[in-house]
Amino acid sequence: MFDNTFTPEQQMLHQMVKDFTAKEVAPFDMAIDQKGDFTDGLFQKLIDNGFLGLTLPEEYGGAAFDPIATATTINDLAYGNASVGVTLEGHYKTLDQLMKYGNENIQKEYLDSANHRIFAFSNTEPSGGSNPTGISSTAVKEGNKWIINGDKVMITNGGLAEVYIILVKSGENEFSCFLIDKDMPGFSFGKREDFIGLRGTPVGEVVMNNIEVSEDHLIGKRGQGLEIADQAHDDARILMGAVLTGIMEHALKIASDYAKQRKALDTPLTDLQVIQEKIANIAISKELTKLVYQQAAIRKQNGQPYMEEAAMAKTFGSRSAVKAGDDALQVLAGYGYSREYPIEHLIRDARALEIAEGTVEKMRTAIAKAEFEK
Amino acid sequence: MKIIVCLKQVPETNNVKIDPVTHNLQRNGISGVINSFDVNAIEAALELKDRYGAEVVALTMGPPDYEKTLRLAMAMGANEGVLLSSRGFAGADTLATATVLAAAVNKIGGADLILFGRQAVDADTGQVGPLVAEKLDLPQYTYVSKLNLSSDGQIDAVRMLDGGTVRVNGDLPAVATVRSELNEPRYATPRNIKLSFKKDIVVYDEKDLDLDDSEIGQAGSPTIVTKVYTPTATPKVTETLEGSAKEAAQNLLTKLSEKSIL
Repeated sequence: MFDNTFTPEQQMLHQMVKDFTAKEVAPFDMAIDQKGDFTDGLFQKLIDNGFLGLTLPEEYGGAAFDPIATATTINDLAYGNASVGVTLEGHYKTLDQLMKYGNENIQKEYLDSANHRIFAFSNTEPSGGSNPTGISSTAVKEGNKWIINGDKVMITNGGLAEVYIILVKSGENEFSCFLIDKDMPGFSFGKREDFIGLRGTPVGEVVMNNIEVSEDHLIGKRGQGLEIADQAHDDARILMGAVLTGIMEHALKIASDYAKQRKALDTPLTDLQVIQEKIANIAISKELTKLVYQQAAIRKQNGQPYMEEAAMAKTFGSRSAVKAGDDALQVLAGYGYSREYPIEHLIRDARALEIAEGTVEKMRTAIAKAEFEK
Repeated sequence: MKIIVCLKQVPETNNVKIDPVTHNLQRNGISGVINSFDVNAIEAALELKDRYGAEVVALTMGPPDYEKTLRLAMAMGANEGVLLSSRGFAGADTLATATVLAAAVNKIGGADLILFGRQAVDADTGQVGPLVAEKLDLPQYTYVSKLNLSSDGQIDAVRMLDGGTVRVNGDLPAVATVRSELNEPRYATPRNIKLSFKKDIVVYDEKDLDLDDSEIGQAGSPTIVTKVYTPTATPKVTETLEGSAKEAAQNLLTKLSEKSIL
């Protein structure tokens, strides 16, 4: 278990996030799903308590926490509600790219504001999701300005986020990333998706109509867009492993607590092998997903490649979490099938992560290719 | 204004074992956490700091790993942490603990307000705050559930006691022990957690505090724990007084007199 190797700072953060989750997130888990949005005041509490600046450099008002602490924070929040974890995942992965690829001017202009404004990475279009080369949004250079046009859909935090890094075509078979702000002329929000899970996290559309930006807004080099998009996916997938671990911890707690107080005729559920098997399977999947996302986070922290481990965390974790929810539902039987209990929404939440940030089919291809290259 | 908040680290588990010889709590090998009432004391200090401006010093006595309790206080917003650590302090009862804390308060240069949690959740005595007040010859306000400073710089507090509340005013400097009803403690933010680990912690031992060996640790502890046990619950008896209201009242008076309550 990597938890035992946490530094004192990581341990204090871990405890703080667990306390915050128990008090400010978990009690509103059902309400968030039912409302289809964050409950009143929750998002502001995340801002007020410094969650948005968790990874930002200290000179920009952040806490400069490392990838392991960041993933653990997402895990702990997702135990209370997966949408909270996913919204911060979208924010952190975007900041990662701004910090890694953004020039000094754009970092100075925007990183400070990331302590209180949500950032989002936007890749998908109606014509392409897991295959970003199918996109049709464009950036055209005119003098020393870039003019951006297009339509981005299914953006995690779309509508909630105020700053976006978008992938566009900047030439023939050339893709680049730009930072745009919702306050820029030509920027507007489109429709919000009515997804079946992760209902607290808005997923929406951004329409770009002749948005004019300076060269500073080009993130990375011209033509580096696909590399940055791939990097954003890798960073996101570590955190998705953390979200999925949180979902499985939640399912395990509900199923285990129920089994401990329920009898089938005169036999406690805890004495039934069919129940034990389900509890054990959830626990095994939860722990293995955690180990893989932690391994990916450690490699990221050490400057080693982590694409494969991040993909494994998301691929293994997402199917495992759906199965964990299904097993937990079966332990609770009729109650598990009821909307009065959270298990059904845990399954819907987990299911989203077999698709978002690259489908699991695409993940398996990437993992296999990495293995063939060894 | 300067505020010192005195903190205690307590065992993380509820399953605390008792030393069969000394009858004291066995703390070895059990990880510690901050005493929950002390978090309310930190919050009280920080709210005063927010309102009036203050330097908040977190103070604790214990082995080196008690540093984490001070770091938590600093991550919540305390300006600095002072650790009183020495093998000579081991085995202290509430009196010897108060002796060391009072000496440390003087070493730090005194304070306008010295705050404690109402009691520690491990030993539950609630004695150390009042003892420190006596050692420093300061007024004390225990079980505080509301805490303000008036415009003329006096303490304006409400004490929550069994059966009622008492509003009290008085001069600073003073000692107060606070209840959990006083406030809702803030979270240590990620940034403050990170920054708290970059701050130095001042460590004092008995020499720094100019204390004699006879005043500290077991030598300075007159308390002898002879037995630790769970008290048996006394069953409560309910009696209904029959008759007219007048007869029942007369009956009640007689019974209260018999029990020397009246």
